[in-house]
Amino acid sequence: MPPPVRRKTFVLLLVLGTALALTAVAYAGNGGFAPEPPHSPNARRISDSYTWISIFTLAIFVVVEGSLLWFIFKYRRRGRPRTAEGPQIHGATRLELIWTLIPVLILAAIASYVFYKLPGIEDVPAAKAEGGPLKVRVDAHQFYWQFTYPNGTVSIDELHVPVNRTVRVDIFSQDVDHSWWVPELGGKFDAIPGQHTHTWFKADRSGTYRGRCGEFCGVFHAKMAARVIAEPKDSYEAWVTHIAHDSLGRSEWAGVCAKCHGFQGQGGYGIAIENSSLLVQPQSLRQLLVNGRNTTKPISNYMPPVGRGWTDDQFRALEQYLKAVVYKGTQSGG
Amino acid sequence: MNASEHIVGVTVERYRPDWRQGRVASWITTVDHKRIGILYAVTSLVFFAAGGLLALLMRAQLATPNEHFITRNSYNELFTIHGTVMIFLFIVPFWAGLANFLVPLMIGARDMAFPRLNALSYWCFLFGGVTLFLSFFAAGGASKSGWYAYPPLSEKFFSPGNGQDLWILSLHLVAISSLLGAINFICTIHNMRAPGMSWMRIPLFVWAIEIYSFLLVLVMPVIGVGLTLLLLDRQVGTHFFLPDQGGNALLYQHLFWFFGHPEVYIIILPAMGVISEVIPVFSRKPIFGYKAIAFSTVAIGFYSMLVWAHHMFSVGLPTFLNVFFMLSSMVIAVPTGVKIFNWLATTWRGNLIFDTAMLWALGFVALFTIGGLSGIFLAAFPVDWQVTDTYYVVAHMHYVLFSGAVFGAFAGLFYWWPKVFGRMLDEGLGKIQFWLVFIGFNLTFFPQHLLGLLGMPRRNYTYDQHGLWLVYNLVSSIGAGIMAIGLVLFLYNVIKTTRSGRRATNDPWLADTLEWYTMSPPPPHNFDRVPYVTSARPLRDLRRRLAEAEHG
Repeated sequence: MPPPVRRKTFVLLLVLGTALALTAVAYAGNGGFAPEPPHSPNARRISDSYTWISIFTLAIFVVVEGSLLWFIFKYRRRGRPRTAEGPQIHGATRLELIWTLIPVLILAAIASYVFYKLPGIEDVPAAKAEGGPLKVRVDAHQFYWQFTYPNGTVSIDELHVPVNRTVRVDIFSQDVDHSWWVPELGGKFDAIPGQHTHTWFKADRSGTYRGRCGEFCGVFHAKMAARVIAEPKDSYEAWVTHIAHDSLGRSEWAGVCAKCHGFQGQGGYGIAIENSSLLVQPQSLRQLLVNGRNTTKPISNYMPPVGRGWTDDQFRALEQYLKAVVYKGTQSGG
Repeated sequence: MNASEHIVGVTVERYRPDWRQGRVASWITTVDHKRIGILYAVTSLVFFAAGGLLALLMRAQLATPNEHFITRNSYNELFTIHGTVMIFLFIVPFWAGLANFLVPLMIGARDMAFPRLNALSYWCFLFGGVTLFLSFFAAGGASKSGWYAYPPLSEKFFSPGNGQDLWILSLHLVAISSLLGAINFICTIHNMRAPGMSWMRIPLFVWAIEIYSFLLVLVMPVIGVGLTLLLLDRQVGTHFFLPDQGGNALLYQHLFWFFGHPEVYIIILPAMGVISEVIPVFSRKPIFGYKAIAFSTVAIGFYSMLVWAHHMFSVGLPTFLNVFFMLSSMVIAVPTGVKIFNWLATTWRGNLIFDTAMLWALGFVALFTIGGLSGIFLAAFPVDWQVTDTYYVVAHMHYVLFSGAVFGAFAGLFYWWPKVFGRMLDEGLGKIQFWLVFIGFNLTFFPQHLLGLLGMPRRNYTYDQHGLWLVYNLVSSIGAGIMAIGLVLFLYNVIKTTRSGRRATNDPWLADTLEWYTMSPPPPHNFDRVPYVTSARPLRDLRRRLAEAEHG
């Protein structure tokens, strides 16, 4: 009668659904079923831990949902009266002990594996062969990333590193909470004012890795992106010795100012500043950049203290760029 | 003004209805636990609808890349207020409402221990909620710093305007309300149980409310402190959380999460209580392992106070602290697992009746399991470094809180509706609603796990990737729409059955607990006579005694 037919349809649907899901997954690479493909030893160990945990959780998932579905099917009422009671079982201590202990063992297995991988994730390798890790300071600001290299060179939103070199990243914040995160190169570490965190990575192939701010930091949080560019050693040397320095003014304008004020200074979320004489008044401009602006009326006049912690070089580079490229007002102001 | 008349020499007071008996006034002045419970639940469901609307706006904005449906600032207001509303104005007060109605009935009491305090706690909650929604009209709009409002972002400099201050004020009111309610529940449960109702005979929902109340009493003062310090920073010029003036921004995170994690269990334990009532009744069996479930409720409550920093794995705590909080978070999975297995064992060899309440309860077990399992990934802190603050976390917490609290809430609504209003909800509509919400929920939130692993951070007003990002986001938005239709169907169900629904008998489900002993709806004094309680299932005992008497 109806049950066998319905059962067949059910099985058919189940098989079809699984097949469809599997094809979709195969078609789309990992498709988001595991972290992004790692390109650094620490990120790889995190991925391994993820896979290890997946094995156990998938097994638990199948057991729990499977028995739930099976019980629902097997013990459905099927014409029995509503008053018919099942066997009045109040518990079974031994059984309950077993299903308390098994999860404990599973969790112990998970924790042991994670602790086994932990040093390789957390500890910065000594990297003696490379002459120690390359140390880069990261300063998070509303709404850009600033990188300072060992020789004092500064770059904005774009971090260049030699490929296959251990890099230690020291993370600071100049205003609110942010979080440094390049998925392919490891986990998140928060930038919290007054605190100092660090992490490391060692990119295993040349190319660009996309980083994002991982802690909500205000109105342009979504646009606070970083690019990590891993490149051969000589390209990196060229970058820290002169390219970064030469393009500092432009990259400050693009990363620090233009996100709100527009690339021509034409205004956007922030006000239009292309004609503002403030652009060519170094002293007042510095004051505004360091202190920001906070007014209640109108509220849209808020400006983050984007220049906190800047060096003289940084201010000068921006001032020159503003004067040469951005400023469209009369020259008399300057 | 002629209050009395002389009739044959006898002074007779003319009957003048008290103004407090009016249709509206009687609700405003009520101190009856059942009416306060209904006020609580209805108000919280209105807030649920409002919070859901905010979520739909967000899903519309995120449906496709580079969308301009709403502005950045509006988006930030939306997710802040959505989170705050759902947690502080919907789930916690909804349980307060359900418990208000049920706890005295379940333990055979006439009312709560402090009826006037009970009314005060409701009105604090209502005005707290109204304050929060009115903050949209404050200078600078509503709070935009997320539902946990980390300083320095929530400080005066970075969040000018009064939205943040009103947010704090609103949470203070709601916290006072929760605190008063919790004290009331504890006093009621400890002192007013029916004769014979020992601790091992109280319904599991009452156990859940007992622990819910204790957690509220323990942690609400802590968030009160955190918010007060933040308010002082903003308004008086102190600098508790301002590092450049000697404060510590991390301190707030500890204060917040010391409250914030137990809050998750404040939300989920009552839902588990509801499930522990519903599953046995619709399986026609006793709950499997009553003591194990009761004690695991206590254990979850205890451990929930020791896991707060697993929300802070990425702030750079010392390794041994990360290890401690990882292990404590994993330990809490054990009592939770015990509950899941016991519910499964309860259905084993039962006579399963798939009424709507049971569907919601089984849906809870199916989906909450997924939320629990994704929690294990988050508890392992190196993995947490990768997925925290992404859509993975958004998916995880909705699997825990939506499939937990909301499925639990609807199981409770369909189960106790006949007792509260004396009419049955429409089962057919209820089942359609369940399937719409069940399918919509999974479509909305399952792809968010994948988005998180692909690298989409939470709280982003837009994204510019196409491909899978677009697919998953679009599916998620469509799912949200399906879910919304399901929830609107509930409103239709209520309207439809208010006048024409089938009348409920005292005990339409053949249940186990005392609230089904009295009339539906119960009279103001609850019980004419309370039976002596001899087990955890007094009503079933009574039915059997009656049956025995009939058959001689």
